[in-house]
Amino acid sequence: MAAISRRCVPFTPFEGELGAATVALVTAGGVHCRDQPPFNIADDLGDETFRVIPGDVDAAELMVTHHHYDHADADRDINVQFPIERLRELVAEKLIGAVAAAHVGFMGYTMQLRKMYEETAPAIADHIDRHARPDAVVLTGG
Amino acid sequence: MSTVLITVSPEASRQMRPPRAFHPRGFKVGNALGRPFMRELQRRVLLDALGLLTAPPRPGEIVEREYPEG
Repeated sequence: MAAISRRCVPFTPFEGELGAATVALVTAGGVHCRDQPPFNIADDLGDETFRVIPGDVDAAELMVTHHHYDHADADRDINVQFPIERLRELVAEKLIGAVAAAHVGFMGYTMQLRKMYEETAPAIADHIDRHARPDAVVLTGG
Repeated sequence: MSTVLITVSPEASRQMRPPRAFHPRGFKVGNALGRPFMRELQRRVLLDALGLLTAPPRPGEIVEREYPEG
């Protein structure tokens, strides 16, 4: 953690207008589709894999697998952690341009921080960049 | 890619020095956007977070806001 905090802030300027921007969601809250493998909460080392969530997913088909926070509210309304329906409404209001074609859920809990930082995070960024080409990404934690 | 983090754990997030971060004060872990089915509250939090994209840059800082109804 300390090593990471000493790095420069990786600031990417936002270019263009929000009203034309394609927005993706990435959450560490353990969100995934019901038909995808759940995160491995049995492993004390955690789980640093991620799941790709399609942009047109039915919110009712999303669920949470995570054992390090109380996700009872997210179980009832996934938008408290993964605001996919709110994004769609902002598109309808023309406040953002589009909902990205791909989003990502992962379980933020892992003891393998180096692997998460050096492998999982770049893999998520690469996937989102290549498959969704978002102008902006909203991140939420667990 | 431009990112904005919505965090309910600002002290932990601050250590990671995120490029843009938004903290809705008083929200609990698991409720980054607020309470379930409060569509307008969730919308406002999301819009406020997205607003950091076009605001003057404050890399590494966490912008906070109160939501009385949250």
